[in-house]
Amino acid sequence: MMAFSEITTPKAAALHLLCSLSLLVVHWLAWNLYSWSLITHTSETLGLCLIVHGPIVIGVYSLVRRDRQHCSYWMAVARGLLGLPVGALVMAFGAIVLGAPVGIRYLKRTAYWSLLMSVFTFVPPACVFGSSRVDWHRIFAHFKPEESLDALVCLPAYGSVIGAWIGAWPMPLDWERPWQEWPICVTYGAVAGYWIGGLASSVFILIHGPVHVKED
Amino acid sequence: MATSSMSCGRLVSWISAAVLLQILGLWLFVSGFFPVKPTVPGFSGPESYRMPTCEDVLVDERRDLLPDQLAKMYMDLSQIPPAFDRMILMVIDGLPAEFVLGKGGQPPEKSLMDAMPYTQFLLSERRAIAFHAKAAPPTVTMPRLKAMISGAIGGFLDVAFNFNTQAFLDDNLLDQFYQIGWKLVMFGDDTWIKLFPSLFRRYDGVNSFYVKDTVEVDFNVSRHLEVELVANDWKLMILHYLGLDHAGHIAGRHSLLMNSKLKEMDDTIRLIHTHNALNGDDDGGRTLLVVVSDHGMTERGNHGGSSFEETDSLALFADLWSESLVYASNMHNEVFQVDVAPTLALLFGVPIPKNNVGVLLIEAFNSFTDEHKLRALELNSWQLLRLLQVHLPHLLCRDLREGASGGQVVQSNEYFDNIEEKLHHLYSKAMAAHTLWKLSERDSSGRSENSTNSYNAVASYYDFLRYGSEWLSHRATDKPIKLILSGVVLLLLSSVLLFYLLLLQFKDHGTERKFGSALKNCSCVWHLDETFVSVGTFLHIFSLGASSMVEEEQYTWHFLSSTMCLILFYMTMLSFLKEQQTVSVEMKKDGKLDLHQSQITHTSVAKYTARVILMKPLHTYFRIYSLLIVLICGRILRGWHQGGVNWAHLPDISKWLEQTSSSCMKAFEITSLLLVMMLSLFALSLLKSRTRYVLIASFGIVVLGFLVLLHIIENQPVNRSTSIAQIFYFNFGILVFGTFILSPWILPLNFQEHSDSHSSAVKTDGVLMGIQDSLYVVGVIYASSWCILQLLLQQPVNAIPMLLIFVQTMACIIYFSASGHHRQLVEVAAVYFLGMAGHFYLGNSNTLATIDVAGAFIGISSYSIIFPSVLMFIITFSSPILSYLSMLVCISTKDIVSLSLHERPDLSQLLNLMIAFPCLLPLVLNSAVLTTFTLILLVMRNHLFVWSVFSPKYLYVCAGTVSVYIGLYVVTVTVVYTCTVFFFRAKLLKFGNS
Repeated sequence: MMAFSEITTPKAAALHLLCSLSLLVVHWLAWNLYSWSLITHTSETLGLCLIVHGPIVIGVYSLVRRDRQHCSYWMAVARGLLGLPVGALVMAFGAIVLGAPVGIRYLKRTAYWSLLMSVFTFVPPACVFGSSRVDWHRIFAHFKPEESLDALVCLPAYGSVIGAWIGAWPMPLDWERPWQEWPICVTYGAVAGYWIGGLASSVFILIHGPVHVKED
Repeated sequence: MATSSMSCGRLVSWISAAVLLQILGLWLFVSGFFPVKPTVPGFSGPESYRMPTCEDVLVDERRDLLPDQLAKMYMDLSQIPPAFDRMILMVIDGLPAEFVLGKGGQPPEKSLMDAMPYTQFLLSERRAIAFHAKAAPPTVTMPRLKAMISGAIGGFLDVAFNFNTQAFLDDNLLDQFYQIGWKLVMFGDDTWIKLFPSLFRRYDGVNSFYVKDTVEVDFNVSRHLEVELVANDWKLMILHYLGLDHAGHIAGRHSLLMNSKLKEMDDTIRLIHTHNALNGDDDGGRTLLVVVSDHGMTERGNHGGSSFEETDSLALFADLWSESLVYASNMHNEVFQVDVAPTLALLFGVPIPKNNVGVLLIEAFNSFTDEHKLRALELNSWQLLRLLQVHLPHLLCRDLREGASGGQVVQSNEYFDNIEEKLHHLYSKAMAAHTLWKLSERDSSGRSENSTNSYNAVASYYDFLRYGSEWLSHRATDKPIKLILSGVVLLLLSSVLLFYLLLLQFKDHGTERKFGSALKNCSCVWHLDETFVSVGTFLHIFSLGASSMVEEEQYTWHFLSSTMCLILFYMTMLSFLKEQQTVSVEMKKDGKLDLHQSQITHTSVAKYTARVILMKPLHTYFRIYSLLIVLICGRILRGWHQGGVNWAHLPDISKWLEQTSSSCMKAFEITSLLLVMMLSLFALSLLKSRTRYVLIASFGIVVLGFLVLLHIIENQPVNRSTSIAQIFYFNFGILVFGTFILSPWILPLNFQEHSDSHSSAVKTDGVLMGIQDSLYVVGVIYASSWCILQLLLQQPVNAIPMLLIFVQTMACIIYFSASGHHRQLVEVAAVYFLGMAGHFYLGNSNTLATIDVAGAFIGISSYSIIFPSVLMFIITFSSPILSYLSMLVCISTKDIVSLSLHERPDLSQLLNLMIAFPCLLPLVLNSAVLTTFTLILLVMRNHLFVWSVFSPKYLYVCAGTVSVYIGLYVVTVTVVYTCTVFFFRAKLLKFGNS
């Protein structure tokens, strides 16, 4: 019998609201304090997002970690911190293979972007599941999450990856807009996907209810 | 199952029917959308002053004449004294005639009138005459300039087929002027210099690329005026102002910029018109100022289409010499842009260009006597008759003179069902009226009667000229809507048919897979790969609607093929994760499988499955590494050529390599050649059976490689290099054809080891193994010799990309042969995607400019058209064709042995299993692109970029369709031949045994 707290709909919604709000707050802060925006100061804004959003995600997801008896809160945080660079490497590999520029000029942006993507995708499961192969396989093999915890972790992750993928499509258009630069519109797409994923996971938990969690 | 699946013969005939439909539809659409009009080669000469006859003999009499003598001869022959000696042709890019003349009888707006006070003064004082000159689409600069100076309306294909030279080679006014010794100067748009690279004595070209600039472009023209107007050595000065067009592009038709630009143009006209050097006839003679615009503009300032706003261009003639009113006051005449050409030719006494479809503007001849006017009309008619004769060969063979001299004219209200009869009738009528006028002139009986006769003659000449001209220009620009629509319908029909066939196959194979792939362990993912194939295809098709996505298609293909590989990578990682997690479950499954198979009682198959299971972990690593190779090679290839249009200038590997020394480049070429050879030799050595035969095939590859090596080291355009290339083509043909013919006969049937057992299953098994081996050898030989051929033909900088594409394709095939859980659909689609991405990796784009023309002449010693075109096609579509050829290797690595576990397939079923998907899927994907793009082209026919972006892309799509046909035909024929031969051999052996 694994003991972990029930994830109710309000809780899940609050979690996603917090994560989503933090991004908005960063954007607002960057604009009002430094008058940065993603378009003018890409890498700085991405860095700021990372600094604010990263700790929030790690902190919040470590709260809902699985297997609480064997894993303390700080252990979960450490797992999240470890998952961050690993996920960033995977994300950077994916982006570069798909055609992201590799020049020195773009190095900083790519690094910040992939760290942020890692926070969206890899850090939550790392905090929640650790290195449990079964869990990782389950959440990445199933697009249909079976329980609320899975939905909480994987729907925003899928959302952000698919959003980033879709966000890359306007880049070759000849509109000559500054936001068509790498990785601005990809980031917009990823954030939009992340929000949609968060919303979807809240809805999922609302429909399925916290009952599923209890079964295990 | 056998009942549900379609027999191979029926499938092939259905596919061929669909392909034939597609070809027919494509042909109908292309001939409707891109009409080709026969142009007459050569230049008009003295013969244009003679009446055309049934058998026109072309004798070039000008050859030995000096320019002055030629000019004198033209003047004598034409019987018209030239009205002017010099001309200033002022082209105002994008000026709608509405700005000067108003619309529908109404004068233009007050602000526009105020912006051009001097021009309006000239018009109201009748010292100039202006027309709405309707331009033919495409309303972009170069074709319109050509139309104005040659009087011809060119089709798109004329432009496309002259892609290696932009110079204008058809008969035109400028060349005619040049031949009679005129000195030409040009200031403005450098399109003129591209059209006539060596004609101008002095020129200053400005580029129309920087659309944002409206001031400098025109200043760069006007700054020459002060000097050039005084100079008297030139006879024709061309001024091409781009600023107004740029102003339109920036801010639209009614912007404030426009008014200031109009004012500037008006000031220029005033400057020229009032310039002292041009007004007197002291040395310069009479000068004619012609102000024309090449096209109009839409409300937003764009152009290219065929709306009234875009086609409404201006033609204004102003006699600089005369002080009084020279022109009649009919200002709102609607004429055609091509009419400028014959008007200028006749005003200046040169022959009318051969392909002219224009009609002279009689109002510009106001200072001429009736005799000269009629003579000019006669000359124009003769020229048009000659052109009409090209379309209607029997037109002049009717007895024209009879109708004319007899004065007996058929009544005009007769119904003419025949265009020839109608033209003939109109022309005889005009000639009769002309003769009548001549008679009355000689009699000089009554002044009034005379003028009536002259009026009648002019009118009947115009009847003929306008009718002939319209008929000719309709032939050039009209898009016969029935033809186009029937083409589109046929294309749609064939696409639907192909898709339906694919669905049928899908159903058949679907039931089969349940048995055949008991090994499948990843049923959990709801076919992410298959979903992506359809989504990716859909996105690609959708993206073709945007002009910049067409321009930058290389990003789309790279993105799609890399995403495909990433998805496969993801699925591999998943199965990797699962494998170690559920080893025990797997073992159980395998036990079950063995049990199931034991019912069929077949030892070798059991061995085969056992081998597959044992090699599983190894296979997973294989899969991961091969996918990594595909991904990394793809990224390097993406960086090789920047490609496209908008970011083509950014640095890439090919630009960097081109700066290095040639020895370095040679080293790269030789390295990639050796690596390709090693890879293919390695691939051949994987085959275990009948080593001697494989050795011979390998030797063939080595010979090919050696010849290319010689060619690379030689690398000089001498005969020896040509002969090396010819020897290469010969050996290439022998190797490929020989392997194709001989492989199925020579490779063993694998009966030996099971000679004790006589069950039919063993025989089938042996046959299948043999077929696999044979297809493998043939496929590897095809692919590798194709690559070596490309190393010979492609530019040196493309040597390594070719190697990488080869590696990618092979790695992809290795991946799919190592993993059993993808449907064949995904496999074929992935290879197809890689081939399309490779097309752009090699530096191709959707503009005609990137076609490698130089490579098409390697190994060609005598002039021909067909052979270089074939080579050009081979170079351009090397990567897609490579991907189709390597489908053979794909087919051979499929485990058809395990597919045949449950029953003994006969030939037809086996063929169906092997080639249904590899043939159908590329056809379906390609026909989807073809049909959609046809519809897009139809919808975009008035788009600004229809001629510069969409039409070239359409040519690529058509050529790509041809490459699909060729590649799949080769694959089908090879597979059918191989299977037939093996079954035949098996039958022979059976007879021999019994």
